[in-house]
Amino acid sequence: MRLLIPLLVLSAALFAADVTVIQNGTIHTVTKGTFKGSIVIRDGKIAEVGEKVMTPAGARVVDATGKHVIPGIIDAHTHIALDSINESSVSVSSMVSVEEMLNPESISIYRALAGGVTVCNSMHGSANAIGGQNVVFKMRWGADARGLVFDKAKPSIKMALGENPKRQGSPQGLQIPGLQSPQNLRYPGTRLGVEDVIRDAFTRARAYQREWKDYEARKARGEKALPPRRDLELEPLVEVLEGKRLVHAHCYRADEILMLLRVFDDFNIKGVTFQHVLEGYKVAREIAERGHGASTFSDWWSYKVEAYDAIPYNAAIMHRKGVLVSLNSDDAGGAELMRRLNTEAAKVMKYGGLSEDEALAMVTINPAKQLQIDQWVGSIEAGKDADLVIYDKHPLSIYAKVEKVFIDGRQYFDRDEDMSRRPKLEAEKEGLRRKLQDQQKQAMPQNRRPS
Amino acid sequence: MRKKFPATMLAALAAVLLAWLPAPAESVSWTAIRDARIVPVNGPVIEKGTVLLRNGVIAAVGAQVDVPASAWVIDGTGLTVYPGLIDAMSTWGLPQTAAAAQTASARGGQQQPQQQPPQQQAQAQQPAQARSRGPLDRPGTFSWVKAADLVQPGDARLGQARNAGFTTAAAFPRQGIVAGHGAVINLGGKTAGEMVVAPDAGLYLALRPSGYTGFPSTPMGIMAYFRQLWLDAEHYRQALALYAADPVNIPRPPYDRALEGILGAKRVLLPAADPVQMERMLKLAADLKTPAVLYGVVRGYEMAERLKQSGTPVILNVRWPTRERDADPEQRESYRELRIRDLAPTSPAALAAAGVKFAVSSDGLETPRAVLRALKQSIDRGLKREDALRALTLSAAEIFGVADRLGSVERGKIANLVVADGDLFDEKTRIRMVFIDGVRYLPEPELPQTPPGPGGRGPTSGEGEEQ
Amino acid sequence: MRTIRCLVFAALCLAARAGENNSFLLRNATVHPVSGPAIENASVLVIDGRIAEVGPKVAPRGKVKIIEARGLHVYPGMIDSGSPIGLAEIASVRETVDTGELGDFNPQLRALIAVNPSSEHIPVVRANGITTVLATPGTTAGARGSATSGLIAGQASLVHLDGWTWEEMEIRRSAAMQMTWPVIQSGRGGPPDLESLLPGLAARRTTFAEARRNQQMQVRKIQDFFDAARRYQKAKAAGEAIPPDLRYEAMIPVLEGKVPLMITASREREIREALEFAAREKLRIVLAGVRQPGKALDEIARRNIPVVLGTTFVTPLEEDDPYDEPFTLPAQLHKAGVKFCFASFGVQFARNLPYQAAQAVPFGLPYDEALKSVTLNAAQVWGIDSEYGSIEKGKFADLIVTDGDPLEIRTQVKMMFIKGAPVDLESKHTRLYKRYMARP
Repeated sequence: MRLLIPLLVLSAALFAADVTVIQNGTIHTVTKGTFKGSIVIRDGKIAEVGEKVMTPAGARVVDATGKHVIPGIIDAHTHIALDSINESSVSVSSMVSVEEMLNPESISIYRALAGGVTVCNSMHGSANAIGGQNVVFKMRWGADARGLVFDKAKPSIKMALGENPKRQGSPQGLQIPGLQSPQNLRYPGTRLGVEDVIRDAFTRARAYQREWKDYEARKARGEKALPPRRDLELEPLVEVLEGKRLVHAHCYRADEILMLLRVFDDFNIKGVTFQHVLEGYKVAREIAERGHGASTFSDWWSYKVEAYDAIPYNAAIMHRKGVLVSLNSDDAGGAELMRRLNTEAAKVMKYGGLSEDEALAMVTINPAKQLQIDQWVGSIEAGKDADLVIYDKHPLSIYAKVEKVFIDGRQYFDRDEDMSRRPKLEAEKEGLRRKLQDQQKQAMPQNRRPS
Repeated sequence: MRKKFPATMLAALAAVLLAWLPAPAESVSWTAIRDARIVPVNGPVIEKGTVLLRNGVIAAVGAQVDVPASAWVIDGTGLTVYPGLIDAMSTWGLPQTAAAAQTASARGGQQQPQQQPPQQQAQAQQPAQARSRGPLDRPGTFSWVKAADLVQPGDARLGQARNAGFTTAAAFPRQGIVAGHGAVINLGGKTAGEMVVAPDAGLYLALRPSGYTGFPSTPMGIMAYFRQLWLDAEHYRQALALYAADPVNIPRPPYDRALEGILGAKRVLLPAADPVQMERMLKLAADLKTPAVLYGVVRGYEMAERLKQSGTPVILNVRWPTRERDADPEQRESYRELRIRDLAPTSPAALAAAGVKFAVSSDGLETPRAVLRALKQSIDRGLKREDALRALTLSAAEIFGVADRLGSVERGKIANLVVADGDLFDEKTRIRMVFIDGVRYLPEPELPQTPPGPGGRGPTSGEGEEQ
Repeated sequence: MRTIRCLVFAALCLAARAGENNSFLLRNATVHPVSGPAIENASVLVIDGRIAEVGPKVAPRGKVKIIEARGLHVYPGMIDSGSPIGLAEIASVRETVDTGELGDFNPQLRALIAVNPSSEHIPVVRANGITTVLATPGTTAGARGSATSGLIAGQASLVHLDGWTWEEMEIRRSAAMQMTWPVIQSGRGGPPDLESLLPGLAARRTTFAEARRNQQMQVRKIQDFFDAARRYQKAKAAGEAIPPDLRYEAMIPVLEGKVPLMITASREREIREALEFAAREKLRIVLAGVRQPGKALDEIARRNIPVVLGTTFVTPLEEDDPYDEPFTLPAQLHKAGVKFCFASFGVQFARNLPYQAAQAVPFGLPYDEALKSVTLNAAQVWGIDSEYGSIEKGKFADLIVTDGDPLEIRTQVKMMFIKGAPVDLESKHTRLYKRYMARP
């Protein structure tokens, strides 16, 4: 939160050296093996990483002896730091963008950061077959909304299948008193209708695309014509058709996953990541054949009927069948699970026997690839952004704690600094409380207002 | 014998007669406030001077002013004359049900709260509207509504406002998300028409659903809707232009009162309490390609620089946040809340220092007098009195484009004045009279306040109001 | 080697089904008794379901099966001190959820009789090393399908996660009486900034004073109910002819101190009131769901009140709270000298019980305490420690055999025994895993 910045910025300024070297730690590059070595950070990028590096004079040295360094964790499915998550009044809400609701003062950003998360994909909710536009941002605590957004990330849109988008289509589903009259029901009420809404929306988008091409052609011929009415609902869908916008599709059951695969085939839509996809393991082959990604929970199940066949081996099965898999948190209110994604990743070793690097990849390079930001983040390689996390123990152990987090080479979290700040904050609050009490007492006589 | 009256004698007789005859129907009424301290706002203070009014307009201001013999002279000894105060975001003069319609829950009228003042209950019992299913249903859109058409000279609040020194208000309808056009109105006059100074103060936009159910149900939905609405308005304009050029081949665009209302908007008013919302609204205004004024600003102390940079004027909320009266005693406020409570009253000074144009609003305050009290708190924390006064007068006029007619004690401007027996911001000062369009209003008896609702902030009686 | 072990274990499971006595010798493992330090190269001898001997060089007695456990670890089976296991299947479907009965006072309800032994949750949860659960009748947070939460929800029962029927699963029918201490609920009419502009909205809100009054009325109701129960108890003891009342009958063991009252009280205010109430009424209590004890922590320690902690996997309550506040709570309790154990308070994540304890270790809780909090402490809190909770001679053989620290995520549970009988660690999840890995 900006109001805490005075203290944090002060310490950050101390750390704003030109070159930083993280020295003698166990470096888990994720893509190029694990070894004891060092990382040189320059101008926000990883300049060098290896067993032996050149440490320039005047560099700030971070001693990582006995510690572990991993790439910043990437959460491909959250809803944090958004003042508004779901435009649930309509089944197609593609015209809204959660980026507009990004709140840089949300403490969730800091808490995620303290758990090693450096990038997250914060999304529209799942009450709509086709939802709104999402936002990818870095946990640059202290920046304003603009400063958080990961500009280079491709835009994306949310979609949803299953129970959520059809809940408002039947009286039992609507739990809000007063809203149960038939006129308030919202199509669709079945999975059949969900497919219809999606196909219809993309069909209309295609028609819209054609309308504009016709208009451009007529204009080119010199005809006087009224341009088509711009439709903000259809334009993001046209971007999906043109490959300019990625898709994140919330889904559960195998039959609906397959349905959506076919819809995407029909409209030639690529750049898809299935989200939750708890029965993805049943249709892993079909998902892998098309190169779509899957982002799922480690071990959630049974909270809804469509989650009753969910198994913790989902990620491992899909991975072994060739699907690009990541693990996510779906954190909405606060950053809770997302700050423990390292232990979530460890679960694929327990459930499915994947290796350490495969586990770490689930929360680093894999989600980076799904978000198409792997060129800049997701592994510790020279040339990538210096998004790094230092743990005091092995990152896949539940006994490990995050000590330091770097984003773009700048240190945004330091556990020691956080702990030393706590008494200062309490003291400041106490001071403010007393000051405000005094002010209120002074205002009292004139006011004669009982308080 | 026939006498011949000489022409000169006839002329003299005529002159004498004319001098004795009453003035013709088109009379000129002069009023003068003499020997008063004058704070013009657009220039230095005149320690002892005269303000001369003529037919509702300020005819002259100065240390030496010739007062016509026929003028009604008011002795200004010991009194100070200020420009009449302007409430920059108001509901005074408008019917209260239209203004208070938003109490029918943020979700648009479906939930019936247990206790509701009768007038609000009447509003809540609207006929069930069809649920809005998209932008074409034009949810909560009343862009054709004009406050100028709704003004009620009989509003009991007007007297209270005048008692506190207010002569003018920028009154806005508040129902819906595109609530309608505000009007700059004088707070006195025999007819509604007389009160309206400018019928096009700007289009009031809100980011919370009200007056409808269905789409859009979130602020981001509302923002997307506004963008679509403005695109539709632009498209409508293009269609009309094309049709006018070629009525034979181009289909006739149907008349759309909502879009007409959008096209006519001089400026839009958008809510922004804090820096995060400010950035959102600045971007939205840019997308709408319409100048914006931000209202409901609370954390002005953090927004000043950016506001200056973007050249956006602001209407400050002066209901300084305080600890709720019925708060849980074991509940600890957050650091953020404490800081806001501490710093909010410093917003006016911060905005003034940064050179941001700002005015103030009575929204959320129980009495008009509370506006001055709130600014006094800011003055105690460093705000210069002249900056406070300017916000209440000339800045407000500038924001709404009526600075040529209101906002300072200047020759040629409307005769809206407030006359007090001391500094306007001092607790002990009493307002002796106000002038609106040159008509003098003496203080009225204070209205009995409504009893406090459960948990509500009950206004006190006996606040020391004078007569 | 591993396959041989699996075959032996499978054979054991078959043997158990055939009803053979539950005796075996677990050999050459690292044994973690919990009541004492770990013993390397040790063995555990189990005779007729009870632990006969623990230590290095234990000789088999009579004809017992030998189970080679070289390179493995033996721990006591873990205990979940609060979960609607068997009572809730799918949270969003009310038909499958049996917690949260209507009515304020339902001490006569017994969780045990509705524990569904065929619930898919049971094999799933025990596969991660949990042998015992306190099945609770009250509502759990986040269960959308549940109804209102009363003040006294009923009797919580200790069950083993294995058995053909709930009778076979039963360890103790009435292990605790579940109660919720009333909370002050002051709600807003609308968001604060809107409220300030529109007084009508503020008028809708429940003031703190009103909310406090409501809460005090609830507390009064509790007091009245206990008074009535005592009158009934006295009358019955005196032999008076009173019409039987199942509710008051159920209260008698609580009033006599035989069954502890498990009071859910999460914050300082509720905890203080609950402690005063318990002292006044001379009741044996356990505090559940403690979250923000504040200054009441010392009082809890002083009175030796045990605590059941819920999940550490929550966000801090206040915006300004340290980010690791939920992780440091167990260590705080330990430092204050409070005995505590853990509960999942749910079914979906009940298998992650050990990790709730483990998460507190990097933030100040000693490892041994973490392990105790899901084994011996829990047994002590519920008064079953003479027979469960550690690997000691005489106790029942509720054991798990793992390839490492059960509190660590990667660890696999290889074998489980409940009262010496081998338990099948397959579940719906493992079956679906095998099936779909094999899909061509």
